[in-house]
Amino acid sequence: MGTLTLGCFSSLVGSKSLDFTLKLAKAAADKGHKVNLWLSGNATVVGKNHQKHLKDYSTGEKPVLELLEKGVEICECEACALARGIQKPDAIPGVQWNAMHWYLAKIYSSDRVLHIGGE
Amino acid sequence: MADIKCAFVIQRPPYKSETSTLGFTHAISYQVVEMLLEDGQNVIPTVCMVGEGVLNLIKDQKAMENYGVTSIESHGKNSLLVDLDILVCKEDLDGFGIPEDRLLDAEDMGADKKLQIVPYSEIQKAMESANHLLFF
Amino acid sequence: MKLGVFVNDYKSTVDTVERLKADKLGLIFVQNGVYHATLKVNGKPCPLLDKTANLYALAEDLATRGLTDADVDKRVKVVTYSDVVDLIFNDYEQLAWL
Repeated sequence: MGTLTLGCFSSLVGSKSLDFTLKLAKAAADKGHKVNLWLSGNATVVGKNHQKHLKDYSTGEKPVLELLEKGVEICECEACALARGIQKPDAIPGVQWNAMHWYLAKIYSSDRVLHIGGE
Repeated sequence: MADIKCAFVIQRPPYKSETSTLGFTHAISYQVVEMLLEDGQNVIPTVCMVGEGVLNLIKDQKAMENYGVTSIESHGKNSLLVDLDILVCKEDLDGFGIPEDRLLDAEDMGADKKLQIVPYSEIQKAMESANHLLFF
Repeated sequence: MKLGVFVNDYKSTVDTVERLKADKLGLIFVQNGVYHATLKVNGKPCPLLDKTANLYALAEDLATRGLTDADVDKRVKVVTYSDVVDLIFNDYEQLAWL
């Protein structure tokens, strides 16, 4: 089994890249791989709790909780989140907050890295 | 394995999205990654500017004056100041008709590093020698 | 290098993909990238399909867009997320999202 680190910078709403990231993370975790997920830029919105799943919009809270249960490490860029008005008490429990060096440190120990940039 | 090389390939133009800024800031964060690693472990980033990404390097940007945000020029200069290698695709600069004297430098900040304008083949080599690629 | 490229857009990333070189190159069409594997422009398939023999398209993203296996160029293998994970770990050392 290997270690896969995913970085995602795309927004939850308006792009399906974050949906793709969460689905790929689940598929890798289901196969027994270690998965790390770094959320930066607009992707930090997925780490906010109390998302309402309206049918015209993607939702990330449920898949994020499922990934955390599977042992996926998820961390979001603190500065990116704060800039978007997301405070730590708003975060989904279990989602870490840190700075960009967290991502580089996870990359260091990864067999594979897929960086999914923003639009 | 002591060093892991990462190529940060910036291909998006400035200001339409956050992408190129995040490319620079993530690369710069290599300076503090040792806090989370063991002794002797390093992440070595190389920044590669290709395609419309080279437009991020035009100097005299007025983003602070007009939007109240740090310019991408400043992020580029800070990258040089922390000794990042920044490779710039010569063919793409030529294609856009951008001469070298229109590009940023960080001499005023005391940086030793300068932009390295190279043929695309050199950027290809940098990507080949990297353990991981991050396209911004 | 063994490079797996996730082609996720239809128009904007073609130039970047076209000039990438690798000892082993894989193109994995996802999101709107699946149109490269399905559309013919003026009767001609996308030139990206000539770049390598290792071509894949994500089934879920085809179906989301109303496309079926029958729409996919015969050179392209339709894959699941689980298959993509295996490609990532078994076939390619470096990955790019374009």
